[in-house]
Amino acid sequence: MTQFPDNIQSNEPEFHGQEAVAKAGFGSMDDPAEVNRRRFLEAAGFSLSVAAMGGCGRAPVETALPFPSQPVGAIPGRLQNYASTCAGCPSGCGLLVGTRDGRPLKMEGLPKHPLSDGGLCAVGQAQPISLYDSKRLTGPLLTGKPSDWATIDQEILQALGQIKAQKKSVRLVTPTITSPTLQTSIDKFLAPFEDAKHIVFDAVSSSAILDAHQQTHSARLLPHYRLDRADVLVSFGADFLGTWISPVEFTAAWAKRRAPSEDSPVMSYHVQIESRMSLTGTNADRRVAIHPRDQGPLVGRLAEKVAVLAGKPHWEKLAIGADDSHEKVLDELAKRLWDARGKCLVVSDSQDIGTQRVVNYLNHLLGNYGTTLDLENPSYQRQGNDSDVEKLVEELVANQVGALLVADVDLLHDLTGSFSLAEAIGRVPLTVSFAPREDEFAAAAKFVCPDHHALESWADAMPTSGLMSLAQPTLRPLGKTRALLESLAAWSGQPTTAYDALRAYWEAEIFPARSADAPGDFLAFWERTLLNGFAEIKPDQSTVGKFVADSIKPLDQQKVLQKESDAFSLVLYSKVGMPDSRHAHNPWLHELPDPVTKVTWGNYACLSPGDAEKLGVKNGDVIKVSAGEGRVPLELPTLVQMGQHDGVLAIALAYGCKGTDRFAKVGPQWFEARPTVPTGERLGKNAASLVEFRDGSRQTSLADVTLTKTKSHRELAITQKYHSLNVPAEVAPHGAEHREIVERTTLPAFAKDAHSGAAEHHFEGEKQLWPEDHEKTGHAWGMVIDLNKCTGCSACVVACQSENNVPVVGYDEVRRQREMHWMRIDRYYTSYGTGEGEEMDIDHQPMMCQHCDNAPCETVCPVLATVHSDEGLNEQVYNRCVGTRYCANNCPYKVRRFNWFKYPHDDTLQNLVLNPEVTVRSRGVMEKCSMCVQRIEAGKVEARSHGSPVADGAIQTACQQSCPAEAIVFGDMNDPKSQVRASLENPRGYRVLEELNVRPAVSYLRVVKNTEENTDEMNTDENKSDMKKHNGGSHHG
Amino acid sequence: MADSTQQAQAPTAVAPTAAELATLRPTLISGNKTPAQVTRDICAPIERGPTGLWWAAFSVALTALAIGTVAVTYQIAYGIGTWGLNRTVGWAFDITNFVFWVGIGHAGTLISAVLFLFRQKWRTSVNRSAEAMTLFAVICAGLFPVIHMGRPWLAFWMAPYPNTRGSLWVNFKSPLLWDVFAISTYLLISAVFWYVGLIPDLATVRDRSKPGWRKKIAGFFSLGWNGSARTWSRYETVYMLLAGIATPLVFSVHTIVSMDFATAVIPGWHTTIFPPYFVAGAIFSGLAMVLTLMIIARKVMQLEDYITVLHIETMCKLMLSMGCIVGLAYGTEFFMATFSGNPYEQFVFFNRAAGPFRWAYWTMVCCNVMIPQLLWIRPFRRNIAFVFFISIVVNIGMWFERFVIIVTSLHRDFLPSSWADYTPTTIELATLLGSFGLFFTCFLIFCRFIPAIAMAEIKGVLNDPPRERKPAKSIEDAPQGDAA
Repeated sequence: MTQFPDNIQSNEPEFHGQEAVAKAGFGSMDDPAEVNRRRFLEAAGFSLSVAAMGGCGRAPVETALPFPSQPVGAIPGRLQNYASTCAGCPSGCGLLVGTRDGRPLKMEGLPKHPLSDGGLCAVGQAQPISLYDSKRLTGPLLTGKPSDWATIDQEILQALGQIKAQKKSVRLVTPTITSPTLQTSIDKFLAPFEDAKHIVFDAVSSSAILDAHQQTHSARLLPHYRLDRADVLVSFGADFLGTWISPVEFTAAWAKRRAPSEDSPVMSYHVQIESRMSLTGTNADRRVAIHPRDQGPLVGRLAEKVAVLAGKPHWEKLAIGADDSHEKVLDELAKRLWDARGKCLVVSDSQDIGTQRVVNYLNHLLGNYGTTLDLENPSYQRQGNDSDVEKLVEELVANQVGALLVADVDLLHDLTGSFSLAEAIGRVPLTVSFAPREDEFAAAAKFVCPDHHALESWADAMPTSGLMSLAQPTLRPLGKTRALLESLAAWSGQPTTAYDALRAYWEAEIFPARSADAPGDFLAFWERTLLNGFAEIKPDQSTVGKFVADSIKPLDQQKVLQKESDAFSLVLYSKVGMPDSRHAHNPWLHELPDPVTKVTWGNYACLSPGDAEKLGVKNGDVIKVSAGEGRVPLELPTLVQMGQHDGVLAIALAYGCKGTDRFAKVGPQWFEARPTVPTGERLGKNAASLVEFRDGSRQTSLADVTLTKTKSHRELAITQKYHSLNVPAEVAPHGAEHREIVERTTLPAFAKDAHSGAAEHHFEGEKQLWPEDHEKTGHAWGMVIDLNKCTGCSACVVACQSENNVPVVGYDEVRRQREMHWMRIDRYYTSYGTGEGEEMDIDHQPMMCQHCDNAPCETVCPVLATVHSDEGLNEQVYNRCVGTRYCANNCPYKVRRFNWFKYPHDDTLQNLVLNPEVTVRSRGVMEKCSMCVQRIEAGKVEARSHGSPVADGAIQTACQQSCPAEAIVFGDMNDPKSQVRASLENPRGYRVLEELNVRPAVSYLRVVKNTEENTDEMNTDENKSDMKKHNGGSHHG
Repeated sequence: MADSTQQAQAPTAVAPTAAELATLRPTLISGNKTPAQVTRDICAPIERGPTGLWWAAFSVALTALAIGTVAVTYQIAYGIGTWGLNRTVGWAFDITNFVFWVGIGHAGTLISAVLFLFRQKWRTSVNRSAEAMTLFAVICAGLFPVIHMGRPWLAFWMAPYPNTRGSLWVNFKSPLLWDVFAISTYLLISAVFWYVGLIPDLATVRDRSKPGWRKKIAGFFSLGWNGSARTWSRYETVYMLLAGIATPLVFSVHTIVSMDFATAVIPGWHTTIFPPYFVAGAIFSGLAMVLTLMIIARKVMQLEDYITVLHIETMCKLMLSMGCIVGLAYGTEFFMATFSGNPYEQFVFFNRAAGPFRWAYWTMVCCNVMIPQLLWIRPFRRNIAFVFFISIVVNIGMWFERFVIIVTSLHRDFLPSSWADYTPTTIELATLLGSFGLFFTCFLIFCRFIPAIAMAEIKGVLNDPPRERKPAKSIEDAPQGDAA
């Protein structure tokens, strides 16, 4: 074990340029049950060895070196999993890093993790491609020029010495840090300075929630929300399934309450009250579109009503200036909340402290503290303190900062507005950036000390009180980067390695707090934690004061209500696939269709259909967004967003980052191709300049903006162009306006009849015309997707991309409807509202190859390049494919993807991300979901080697593994005990386009909404029954 | 052939002399030609060398071909992505062009084989060019299935040849494979039929040529033709047999092409009317193309005496009847869709008529059904310029018919999430242009080096009236019946 430090810290030039990857493996997770100390040491032993190998695929032979000494237990090419912690955001989800030959390749959710419960979001899944990023800094920079650590350390120590002597201030800016070890070293680093401060700056912060708790509960804490305990869930704008605080955890918890069964037809009731269309809003039982300025008043009105029900009417009017347009909704809501008191939850994403105070008051009235909100065991997933940030800006402008150190956030990009810090930062005597790439602040900073990629570093995390997790490196750093912790330690005069610091901290602080039943000494505890990825320890009970009733003051909205009539209210949000600007260089995330808008590559201005019509703009028409004096106007293409409230303009943050022009030529280049990033521009526009500080918080909504139409047009790269399950009225056959692709029912109807909502298919149960000619006697692989659990979060899309080497094709190709994702999520707005969004069904439907038994693609291929396996898989033989595309034409689900070009694989470093188990397809061949056939085969081999049948659940497809909601079940339909078999018998089960008799192996479980039986639009119901009538005579397929 | 001609002529021989008859009624060939004159006229373009008009036409065609060649080369170098296709619309210009060109070919076979079997003598003036047109159209058509492949260099995998890949065989269930057989059979039979018909004329060219390359080549290909009764007898037997073999192809080839669509599950494709509908459409478009070519050729090659207004009018009638069948097919298709109760199919047809591609649909209906109705009017049929216009219109309409069938069916199928649009790229437009370039280049080379009209056949009908049935019926019925 003593060799670890050498190994990790080594910056010796063993690397052959960027093509070399070193191996440092720690603790195999192959079979946790069997791992003991001995086994662990065996596995850990090979960490000594360093293997350098060239890229993959067609790498030149001379750089492909074998292991100098074969590590014990390592089998070349075999997948090895390491438990770790995801660093994509501060949520601290459990991570399982799949590595092969020393290359981390596939990020998976860590099963049984207390927070993420085996799920992982799209951002977490997309980490490998940012690891193998050839544009990452490979070493420190001194005034923009490559330097070495010795020089850097010397210069910085000297500068810090001066600052100490001159008693100047030191400011260290980071986003939320959940690592106690790192926090300790930050504290240690800052301690010697007279005026030193660690400023926590979250680009999208939840500062107001913490501040409100400071006022209502005398503790600046973020409660740990327990959505799984909430029967009634009311969210004011909080996109907890998408981006809010800890989406994977919340999705898992939410989905647990969304599985009504025949025996127990119960589920949670979820109401979303929001201005823009969020992913969470698309999944709500009831969605109310409101103007952002109404959020506070509505929260206030709700509190008034609940207070009345609670028998403690406290204020006559809590919300001054609230209109009563939603009285009915609020009355109902108050009643439902009160009926479910102690088992309900009200959350809000408002950055208005007053509103958050009232939210606290609501939860307090409803007795939710201690049940659905845990403040005593709080969450540390968001610690941003906006008032500190505001002070920093003042200090910087006033030229009062002596040293500015910035880690993990691009201060110049994310912190801008009516002021510009560029000049102020230029005046700071010592500026240090820890950015892995030359972002805007790094370009302005004197020193750039790049941090490792998370997959290269040791770290720990305490996302919530009582949960400690470890992150371990899964490969040797690719460049001469240095961990933030190590840099700080070096400058504190106590150089150490991250590994040493971590062990020391854990031995001193964590080990004593271990749970009582944890056996063994520290080494055993450490090894166990390393293997498990996390340890549950005694929570540090926070001191929470009693509810301070006096803190609740009437919400004065007068200030907000004074509006120019034609002004738009701005709502800034972060996208599901792009939580902050740290991910701006991740092509997988850029190409991930937004779960709601389905747009890829860049941000845009979302307008309600009514406003778009008023302004005379269509999708892609560029509009100019002006936000008053001192702020640079933004020009963004329009996106017409169903369900968005009128008078609202929604723009995603984290775009327009420096260096994103690198994606200009990301896709195939030919003479009609349009660049992904227009020449001289960046990918998207930086909307951070529209954030404003108000009342001690960074306000991401409410700012007034004016919109003007411009003459330019930039077509949006949208993967879905038609959004309704109702066919266009002008071409709709009578009685068949609606297509029952997504079946729905309501909870009361489901309780009465578990089969309610089923479309009547003509030949169900009738004899087949042809004999069963491909009986599957062995395995019969199948999949069941629970549409009621699926939130559309799109983690599976990136999981599939990573597992199956799906290429990134760029803006132009997506624009031409040629995205390559094998897995897509269809999103439908089933009846168009007027922008209010209440009378609209919104569905998400994951769609991939359905592996039909009567596959239309198979009969038409002239060269037998797509065939059926005896296990029920529809197999695509890339080698044999000549590319007639007939199969894709004949696919009713349009899930086949054609290699229109030879997609670029010139970046040899980036090619390391490719999964060697899956063929990289050449141009001119068809591809599609294989149901992760490589995993199926590996699972079968594994079972065979044990001489046992394949256990149910032993084989998981990539999409299934990552799904935070556990909406996807895969398995052997011939195995009577399998989960998939059980799901198939679920009365909610149906198959898409069953009437074609293609007999897909993928089935879906019908959506059940917890609404009144008759709230479905009468209109649609009529259509549905009409269509059924007409369907009776159809023999299609 | 000869027998039938003689027998058919027998009754007219006792009637007024040919010259007298000509003054009473127009003959098939105007200008009162003698056989020697025919030979001179038809061999003239070959012997005197190309005219300026020919050079102009040839350079235009060659330019188009060159543009197409560049486009195809670019596309093969970069990938199918240089076309406007997408994940939803997997075929568009490529297969549209393919079906269009295959369809064009059908009129040639109809004229040369079917009309031959039906003893339609007027065909002699146009059959050679029509057959040549068939051949070149099939070549153009054959190009598209190859270049539309993602990996055209592996096109030979479509052939069921013994290979070293174990038991790897082609998929006989796939309509694309049926296409391979249908098109290659068609090409082969058409080429042989055309060549056999050429032999006597090649011998004429050989005999008229001074020693030199032309004499050598013509001599080689005329296979030692000596004009003896035995040679004629053998020739006519073979010609008759080939006509018999070629006739079913008129129906089978486009039937099989239609199955590319009919066997699919896609609404708008999956329909049983397609085989007859496609055959009628093919003949319709082919006749239009024959007319286009004939009208150009008779001007450019000064063959007005041989391809007369009578020919044009007859062809117009044929085209009109085919156009009506096609119109009936459109209506039937629409009716069946609405009557079927299949919402997907109903939608596809409503979407054709009123969806984003309605312009293409209504272009098709106007060009193929409405405008050709003007041909009911005799003066229009006899107005060469007007007929030329109609023939172009029908060509355009028939191209759009295939485009409508292919693109509008694909672009909005079952799952609305996957609906997409389609816009062709410059490469696709250039490829279409190139296919016309190839066709006309081939055709102009044919006109320049090979007798464009079947001299041997035309001499047999020199003084024939355009329609012999009427006089035959009125004058003497019995011998006619025997001959038939």
